Amino acid sequence: MAHSKTFVLPTSIISSIDVARLEREVESVRGFLEQAERRKAGERTALPKMSRMLEEIAEENAVNLLHVDQLQKLEDILKTLKVQAPVIHLSFAAEPTSAFLQKLVSWFRKEVHPLTLLQVGLQPSIAAGCIVRTTNKYFDFSLRQYLTGSKQQLIELMEGGK
Amino acid sequence: MDTWAIGALLGTLLAATAAFIWMAFELKDSGHSKQKHSEDFAHDAEADVERIFNDTFREELRNRGRLHFEKIIGENAMFLQQDLRLTTSELNEYMKQEMTRTLKEEFAKYEQSITDAKQIAIDSITKTQEAIEQQRQLLSEQLQKQFEEAKAQLVKRFEENMADIVNHYIMATIGDQIDLNDQLEYILNDLENNKQAIIEDVTNGA
Repeated sequence: MAHSKTFVLPTSIISSIDVARLEREVESVRGFLEQAERRKAGERTALPKMSRMLEEIAEENAVNLLHVDQLQKLEDILKTLKVQAPVIHLSFAAEPTSAFLQKLVSWFRKEVHPLTLLQVGLQPSIAAGCIVRTTNKYFDFSLRQYLTGSKQQLIELMEGGK
Repeated sequence: MDTWAIGALLGTLLAATAAFIWMAFELKDSGHSKQKHSEDFAHDAEADVERIFNDTFREELRNRGRLHFEKIIGENAMFLQQDLRLTTSELNEYMKQEMTRTLKEEFAKYEQSITDAKQIAIDSITKTQEAIEQQRQLLSEQLQKQFEEAKAQLVKRFEENMADIVNHYIMATIGDQIDLNDQLEYILNDLENNKQAIIEDVTNGA
């Protein structure tokens, strides 16, 4: 990805859904600006509302949201990201909070890939921990897996408790 | 012995009677023989015989004989009665002894058969008890074996699914108290431990 070396994804953008939403928002703003250039004098226009994600991405990547070409560039990057950014699937026992996911995505972007996106799923049977699935691998960090790995220790504990 | 005495007495009487008759015939015969010579002697002798053995004498003899015979008959009847009583008594005693002996033998046989039957019954009961005991032992062993197998099977299944079982109980007991934020540190540690593998897969993945 050509833009990945300089482009920064804020931690508020977590999943590809966020990216898609942001892309639509950028497209909307860009469309507004293009229409504003062609509008006649005295004609009223409604400024589209901008989300916090858009403000953050614009701020961190020094994108001027009033420049159509920069918006177009941002939109292209987002389109590319939506298709090419590495997606890590995470499963939890309960719905994680946004702050929790931001910490996780921050770790992934720092340690694994700066444009990592997360896809979060629910799997109540894992009780605690999480399951991580990358393109080709499966990492079970759940309590169930921990207990399975400690089966012999559990057996010894139970035999000692007889 | 009494029978012999009666027999001897009767023989004596018959011999005496036969002697008289024989004498009479002899005398008669001698008269006839001498008839040719002296029919008178014969006639005299016959007259003398008639005179000596007249009806009165004969009646007297007959009475004496009857009385003696009755006396002998009476005595012998008494002896016979005594003998009969004695014989009856002995016979009773003998019968009693025989019956007692027979009854004792029969009772002994009966007792022996009862004892045998009892022994057979005891043997049969003993064999039945032994068979029942063996059967009980066999069933007990089979039951114990099945119990051990079922127990081993349960333990095996429990051990195989122990993680899920413990996980289930943890979920049931403190599942709603587990906070993801508390787990963040552990999750990050796990991620850190597997970071290289994740990076490789993200970098080299399709």
